Amino acid sequence: MPTMRRPYQLTALVLFGLSGFIAYESLKLKYYTSLGPGPGFFPLWLSLAMAALAAAMFFQATFKAPEPRPADFRDSRTGYLRAAAICVAWIWATLMLERLGYRLTMLVFFPVLLFALGRVKWWLVVAISLLGSVAVFYVFSVGLSVHLPVGPFDGVFESIDDLVF
Amino acid sequence: MEAFHALMDGFAVCLQWQYLFFAVLGCLVGTLIGVLPGVGPAAGTAMLLPLTFGMSPIASIIMLSAIYYGSMYGGTITSVLVNVPGEAASAITCLDGYAMAKKGRAGSALAIAAIGSFIGGNVATMGLVLLALPLTAVALKFGPPEFFSLMLIGLSLATTLASRSVVRALISAVLGLLLAMIGMDPVLGVPRFTFGEKELLDGIGIVPIAMGLFGIGELLLTAEGSKSSVIHTRLREMWPSWQEMKASIWPIFRGTGIGFFLGLIPGIGVLVPTFISYAVEKKISKTPEKFGTGMIEGVAAPETANNAYCNAAMIPLFTLGVPGSAVIAILMSAFMMNGLIPGPFLFQEHPDIAWAVIASFYVGNLILLIMNLPMIPIWVSFLRISTPILYTLILGFCVIGAYSAHNSVFDVGLTLAFGFVGYAFKKLDIPLAPMILTVILGPLMERALRQSLEMSRGDFTIFFTRPISAALLGLAAVFVATSLMKMASQVKEDRVA
Repeated sequence: MPTMRRPYQLTALVLFGLSGFIAYESLKLKYYTSLGPGPGFFPLWLSLAMAALAAAMFFQATFKAPEPRPADFRDSRTGYLRAAAICVAWIWATLMLERLGYRLTMLVFFPVLLFALGRVKWWLVVAISLLGSVAVFYVFSVGLSVHLPVGPFDGVFESIDDLVF
Repeated sequence: MEAFHALMDGFAVCLQWQYLFFAVLGCLVGTLIGVLPGVGPAAGTAMLLPLTFGMSPIASIIMLSAIYYGSMYGGTITSVLVNVPGEAASAITCLDGYAMAKKGRAGSALAIAAIGSFIGGNVATMGLVLLALPLTAVALKFGPPEFFSLMLIGLSLATTLASRSVVRALISAVLGLLLAMIGMDPVLGVPRFTFGEKELLDGIGIVPIAMGLFGIGELLLTAEGSKSSVIHTRLREMWPSWQEMKASIWPIFRGTGIGFFLGLIPGIGVLVPTFISYAVEKKISKTPEKFGTGMIEGVAAPETANNAYCNAAMIPLFTLGVPGSAVIAILMSAFMMNGLIPGPFLFQEHPDIAWAVIASFYVGNLILLIMNLPMIPIWVSFLRISTPILYTLILGFCVIGAYSAHNSVFDVGLTLAFGFVGYAFKKLDIPLAPMILTVILGPLMERALRQSLEMSRGDFTIFFTRPISAALLGLAAVFVATSLMKMASQVKEDRVA
């Protein structure tokens, strides 16, 4: 029966590496001043605490009875593809939000997610994409005074902008 | 007695229809602001401040105050229904509130949150009327050493947020403290762990962390595992059962106390009382292992604490003119824009305004309860939306929330990064709550410690020679000792098994 031994061992090694990196960066900062701890004091001790905890996790995973791996620890290929679709859509939003503007970015964001996450009727995809991108933009920017980025190609919406603003 | 008569006069003013209208409007807008991820009460209140320029002083302050405590409840709605905290203070409610929603008990969670918020808010307002000045005098004795000791209590409670492994809880807590180190050093102003990125000079905001860990992480996990699933809830399951009401009584009582006391101390922030009240409930519970699986106490206590905090935070403002948080500072500006100076002279020079605003807190809390309880079936009905549409809408709002926190796509990217962390933590059964707690407490603790040592020229005995600080350190030592004893007994049980 698969156990959590290997995942916890790998996690412990990652955390140990992270604590080493943080300790190294902390040593570049001032450790102590005449008035007390300096900027490097806490990060250094926290990195040592992290290293100790990583060692404890590795020890528990290696020498104690391992915990059973949950049945859903690994999922199906379709499941991973759905999660990947969320990541791809989010990365698209991160990269394009200020380049294309909110409206055009989300006009791609919403349909990609709706198609990737399940079966949705095409007219619902169109409606949600338009509402989520164009309508929400005006609700937030006009109604709530929340700034959402306007990109260089947002001239496409000029006629609606003239009406609203 | 004089205060009672003045309060009655205040009710006579605030119950006029025009002020009631603004109280209702404030509660509604506040709830909506709380629901929208990333648009927190400070941003919402600041955005709507210009709208109050044409209003009378009483109307503007009533509306802005209602927005503040309304947003606390609004944040609960998304935390319970979709595990995305509408505002950071509701993050802890995600743990048990969302678990209750998955069991079809979302309505109970929202109802208890509304009732707890009502009770907490009103008790805190009563405290404002009866005990304001003496309590504020105690709160003002809190300097950096007392702050540090108080934060240490919060930190010592981090292990109570553990699920099955204290080591994993401590890893989560230490990671949170390390995250809190990113940014400018609070005393010397030196950049730490920014790697040349100017966006990191201010540190990592709580919005990307909370939204990523709780919201995106959970969405990744659920999208990976589930097919389209819809949670059906029958109408009679929308309301708390008698057992749930009974189980909520003491958590509401304790949450009120914690939120009220911490609200008196300027600078604490609303996140601290909500997390501490949750940790306290878990610590004293006979079944702490069930927290995180849908315990009503895990919703009742923090939700009561956050509203008690909001109302109690008005006390330093009214009695001393000291704003305890960003939102209270915005409310203070509303006072000043209307020619009123908050503080002890407000009651002498403008008693009608002061008491009308205080009376409106009672009325506003009642309006929130009356408005939100019947709306629970409407909120819960959102869970009937099919999964692809619901997740897409949530993700869309999360993008807006993450971006609008600082108008930065860097925060949008960070939210996804924390989403991966939340996903990995869930897979590895590493609890999220200790990390959120220490991300909040870390900067406060470090600043307080270093300021204390500057006051004492590097002498650590300052924490023991000041009586309040010494008492708080003693309490922290008790919590740590009980946690260690619990760990030792757990190790012993594992050996026997």
